Amino acid sequence: MTLLIIFLMALITFSTRYLLIHPKIPLKLSARMVSFLSFSAPAVLTAIWVPIIFIREGQLALSLSNPYLISASIAVYVAAKTTNIYFTLLSSGAIFIILRITM
Amino acid sequence: MSEKDSRQIKKFSNLSHKTFLGIVLKGFMDMMPLNLAVIPWGILCGSLAIQRDFTILEALLMPLIVFAGSAQLVATELIGGNAPLATILFTTFIISSRHFLYGLALRDKLKVLPSKWRYPLGFLLTDELFALSGNSKSFKGKVRLIYAVASGGSFYLCWLLWNVIGIFAGSYLPDLTTLGLDFAIAVTFIALVIPSIKNIPILVAVIVSGVCSVIFKLLAWELDLVLASILGMCAGYNVLRYQKRNEQMNDENKL
Repeated sequence: MTLLIIFLMALITFSTRYLLIHPKIPLKLSARMVSFLSFSAPAVLTAIWVPIIFIREGQLALSLSNPYLISASIAVYVAAKTTNIYFTLLSSGAIFIILRITM
Repeated sequence: MSEKDSRQIKKFSNLSHKTFLGIVLKGFMDMMPLNLAVIPWGILCGSLAIQRDFTILEALLMPLIVFAGSAQLVATELIGGNAPLATILFTTFIISSRHFLYGLALRDKLKVLPSKWRYPLGFLLTDELFALSGNSKSFKGKVRLIYAVASGGSFYLCWLLWNVIGIFAGSYLPDLTTLGLDFAIAVTFIALVIPSIKNIPILVAVIVSGVCSVIFKLLAWELDLVLASILGMCAGYNVLRYQKRNEQMNDENKL
């Protein structure tokens, strides 16, 4: 039974990824739609990372004792200044580890 | 076949061994931060499957063919708790539905590809590969296709490897998720998103999407991620249109 569920799940995850890039699907994107969709990457990725930072254990965690919030603020600053992914990861990661140990 | 096509094919077949390896390596290195960021989840997914009495084959098939992060994790819990089939599949569909946005956004680029490229890229189209696909030239030309398959493929292999570690060593490892390692994925996405904010419309899209995602998550809405994203996209799109209208009006006033 579990095997069957896994195969059905695979069908679902593949379909959600593949369906809309299939050429036979009768779907033509207008210029407006393309312009709208150009915002998808920043919008979706942000909707993934922001809750990790601001919601801890199901609660809104806006206090300075939330190490995620402080480290993420540093990450945003470094990413904006340097645009270097590794530099951003290392600097904010180091701050995060220090905060986790000391707080 | 047009002359241009045959010229291109000639160019591709001249792609030397060295440049091919170079492209693959670049894809792998660009995906590396994301490959490493998902270590705790991969290990958790693998070890959770074993704890929920999956056989080794079943636990391996999850990353091999389902190949999802949160959907895999949630479904493993549901299967372990003997949830009804419809619940498991519906939950998988809801969590996975954000991929429709990725398919839509990349449709014009990917639908024209031959199926030998299109099917694998469709399979590999995760959050992570989408995050690296922002360039306007992505997926155009063989070099960028190899790059996409190499980066997406390296993510697939790493995800599989982390799951395998979880399956076979999960019971010997501490619970990595309590160590705050979810910060790794958040900061990786920060490092990808922030430099892409090049104008006011994108900034608005990011702020609206971020604020909505927190509100919807606190309200425990099932489609929180997709709804927040769409609202953010709407906001950004409308600001862009407003800017363009203003520009037009200014131009007209000048005349």
